[in-house]
Amino acid sequence: MKENKYLLLFLLFSGILINNKVIAQDDSIVAEEIVKLKYYNSKNSMQFLILENYQRTRKKSEPLVNKKFQLYLDSIQPETLIAAITTNNTGKAKSFLPINLKNVWEASATHKFIAIAAGKEAEPAAAIEITKAKIHLDTTTSDGVRSITVTVSKYENGEWIPANEVEMKVGVLRLGGILPAGDEGTYTTDSSGTITVEVTKDSLPGDTNGNFLIAARVENNDQLGNLEVEQLVPWGVAVKTGKDFFSQRTLWSTRFKTPFWLLFMAYGIVLSVWGTLIYLIIQFFKIKKLGKIHTTR
Amino acid sequence: MSCNCNKGECNGGNSRREFLLTGLMAGIALAGCGDKKTPFKTEGDVALTGEKVKLLSVDGEVIEVDRAYLKPVPDLPTLSNSEERKGIAGKKFVMVIDLARCKNLKKCQSACNHMHYVHPGQSWIKVYSMKDSEHSAPYWQPTTCMHCDEPPCVKVCPVDATFKRQDGIVSIDSNRCIGCRFCMAACPYSTRVFNWEEPELPEEIADQHYSCETSIPQKKGTVGKCDFCPDMVRKGELPHCVSACPNGVFMFGDMNEDSVTNGAETFRFSELIKDKSGYRLMEDLGTKPSVYYLPPVHRNFPYESGIENQQPQDLHHH
Amino acid sequence: MIWTGILILFCLIGVYAYYRQLSKGLVVTNMRDYVSWGIYISNFVFFVAISLVGSLITAIFRLANIHWSTPLTRIAEIIAVSAITFASIIIIVDMGRPERLVNLVAHGRLQSPITWDVIVIGTYFFISLLLLYIPMLPDLKILNEQKNIKPGWIKRGYKFWGGFWKGTKEQSKISRRSIIILSIMIIPVAFCIHTVTSWLFATTYRPGWDSTNFGAYFVSGAFLVGAGAVIIAMYVFRKYYHLEKYITEKHFDRMGKALVLLAFLYLYFNINEYLVPAFKMKKPEEAHLTQLFAGEFAPLFWFAIIVGMVIPVIVLLFKKGRKPLPMFVIGIMVVVGAWFKRYLIVTPTLLHPFLPMQDVPQSYKHYFPSWEEWAIAIGTLAGALLIITIFVRLFPIIPIQETITEQNEKNEGK
Repeated sequence: MKENKYLLLFLLFSGILINNKVIAQDDSIVAEEIVKLKYYNSKNSMQFLILENYQRTRKKSEPLVNKKFQLYLDSIQPETLIAAITTNNTGKAKSFLPINLKNVWEASATHKFIAIAAGKEAEPAAAIEITKAKIHLDTTTSDGVRSITVTVSKYENGEWIPANEVEMKVGVLRLGGILPAGDEGTYTTDSSGTITVEVTKDSLPGDTNGNFLIAARVENNDQLGNLEVEQLVPWGVAVKTGKDFFSQRTLWSTRFKTPFWLLFMAYGIVLSVWGTLIYLIIQFFKIKKLGKIHTTR
Repeated sequence: MSCNCNKGECNGGNSRREFLLTGLMAGIALAGCGDKKTPFKTEGDVALTGEKVKLLSVDGEVIEVDRAYLKPVPDLPTLSNSEERKGIAGKKFVMVIDLARCKNLKKCQSACNHMHYVHPGQSWIKVYSMKDSEHSAPYWQPTTCMHCDEPPCVKVCPVDATFKRQDGIVSIDSNRCIGCRFCMAACPYSTRVFNWEEPELPEEIADQHYSCETSIPQKKGTVGKCDFCPDMVRKGELPHCVSACPNGVFMFGDMNEDSVTNGAETFRFSELIKDKSGYRLMEDLGTKPSVYYLPPVHRNFPYESGIENQQPQDLHHH
Repeated sequence: MIWTGILILFCLIGVYAYYRQLSKGLVVTNMRDYVSWGIYISNFVFFVAISLVGSLITAIFRLANIHWSTPLTRIAEIIAVSAITFASIIIIVDMGRPERLVNLVAHGRLQSPITWDVIVIGTYFFISLLLLYIPMLPDLKILNEQKNIKPGWIKRGYKFWGGFWKGTKEQSKISRRSIIILSIMIIPVAFCIHTVTSWLFATTYRPGWDSTNFGAYFVSGAFLVGAGAVIIAMYVFRKYYHLEKYITEKHFDRMGKALVLLAFLYLYFNINEYLVPAFKMKKPEEAHLTQLFAGEFAPLFWFAIIVGMVIPVIVLLFKKGRKPLPMFVIGIMVVVGAWFKRYLIVTPTLLHPFLPMQDVPQSYKHYFPSWEEWAIAIGTLAGALLIITIFVRLFPIIPIQETITEQNEKNEGK
């Protein structure tokens, strides 16, 4: 985990996040309000911003709910307003770029996103600067060796140039994370903006047809933001997900799947005992009937 | 890429400094915990509104997306009770808890209690101070529900109020539970808690429709426990305890994908269990838990660093 | 009348406590997540145990052709019926959601021992009721023929329930056959009710409950406490209704001997239950057993063993010990010992879970029942006694017809 901690330290001091820290000094509690703005580029097409707002004390971190912010592109003017957003119950808000900003967006390779908190217009709550970028993923198989090649390029001076020194995760898209396909946890692009990962993990389970998604993800890059690309490959082992788990008749199954032996035993006992009891009730009514016959006689 | 990067580094004499440093780290890591989750939504079905919104793509072109995606986490279709009882097809959830990384910070516990509105004093996740025998070393052991494959609690439930889903989760339907507490007696892991009184809930939570997947709102006179947060998984996110832990103790995943992750690192489950000799609790009882433990060897923190977080009445347990 | 008044008072206090529990939740009890079953459940087990007496006296003695017990059969049956009624009530009291009782039918799951218990208790209740009612038909006729003693509605009740009994040969034949079938049937059902109740515990992994001995252990314990309850009832009714002619010292003597046998039987299963695990002292069992033998629960444990079993055996071995008054005292000792024994079966085990009791409020680590729990438990005990009291006000506690017939047979035999 040390590695991880240093990474986080690095993130904190690097320019990815420009945090506005409002320090409310109490006698004992030091509460910090934190606003984070992040840029996402999904599959070189969809792009959006996520704002996170929370309050941190020494012990706890709590989301700030229903906080209003305004997002601006490049400059704080009514024309460059991206959106007015409100944080949800996890302290997050999301925004896309509206189409009326097309000209502003196309005018430059580098853009600044600015978040203004409602009621605190004097200075930005957070601001980030992003260079337009693209990420491409290719797969090759030669001599039975599978490789993934990822290329990152950025837009500078009117042309797409390779983006070097970009750190990313490359691997199989799994629940909650990317399972590294090669031996490394992360890879960094070379001067040609490329990384190549040799897939060393064999016979990973895929879906029922043996397919799985591979993905390359750049997280919190200080120049490019967050980028992701994915591709479906037939490299996995087909996993059979039979329904037999649910059709099992066991002691822990539902009442619709009671084991047969238990059904037979239980119904056998209950029916024989209650059968006899019903017989006895009939006998009782016989006694009653006999009594009545006796009286009428 | 190894989670054991600091093998043996922790046992220096400068434990005080080490401790302060790790405390600081914990705070920072928590602030960054949002980074672990992915907002790139790839899994599960989204409740589409049918209404399209025009927006600007990276290339400056106009594309259309459904309005549902305007939310940070798109809403999911509401599930029927029978869908919640069946669970997510094709999944088999598994958790790995690395005891070498735990220092009793209890962030898992507070996040879980907070998100599920667990009654004050009670918790679905407990962190035990364990010491197996006189001469063996103490360690911290967080426990969730084990989501056993032979669940003793489910066996004894008279009304199918607690049940095993096809994705391996042992869930509770608080709308059906009669409150007999047989499951609590049957569970050898003491993981179940009971709502002895009306839960204290914010109004909007109390009015919410009960779901077996979110386990809220909890109801008076019924049993509650860790639910493995299937609602989070459906959103493509990790259970609250996993993302709250700054030390990456909890790893969650899908057995069918052979993968577990704590958000920052993702491991191949079978390799991790093999390399680190993973085990399960009380294997001899035959309950077949879905929670695996990695032994507390080459620890990241000394046992003592967790004592300050222990409840006063649990101190001097050993 | 004072007696009935006191019982009603206790019941009302119990009802009030239950009202509090219903409105506030089970938080009014001192049960918490570790001790999730408290005196409600031990009281339930106690009631189930007491109810076994019905089958003991009525069925086993009847089938074994033991006639001296005939005057005791009705006492035994009414104890059984009232105990089983309150066993059901206390189990509903223990539920967190009593209004969802219907789920047991709507969503009942055959795999759960609770479902088995519900079925077997229902069956046993019904058989006990029949076994109380059918032999009473001739007596209802006698009561019906009495004039101007009771208020009209009671008389109409006698007529409704027993008016059709004419005592013809056919009627007697059917009734006798029915009683024999019931007597045979009630024995396995009675064994089931107690065995299944023991399985509520034995089907878990917990130290102190995880025992293959549990069914037999519970059945033998039930026999003992049931016999103790009958002895108390015998003494009280004999004294109060001046039944010395019917319930003789001979009856006490014989019940005393039976009690010795049953106490020995229960002691035998106790030794099995505690000595064998204590010999091995497996880690989970160790904490539990040492708490019972020498720890927090030791006074109660040894009280239950010595007062509930050992002293009765010693006293009853002497002929003088089997006189009515000492028998009465012994009966009380057996029953009180048995009540605490049930408490010891339920609670200490829950205080010794596999994982240590940590990360919970201090109050979760101990258990002593709250006043509401005591009030409800005492209320149900009073309620059971109230049913018996009302019953004996309305019906003859000695089976008149049967006793007369038997005495006639005996006289003829001479």
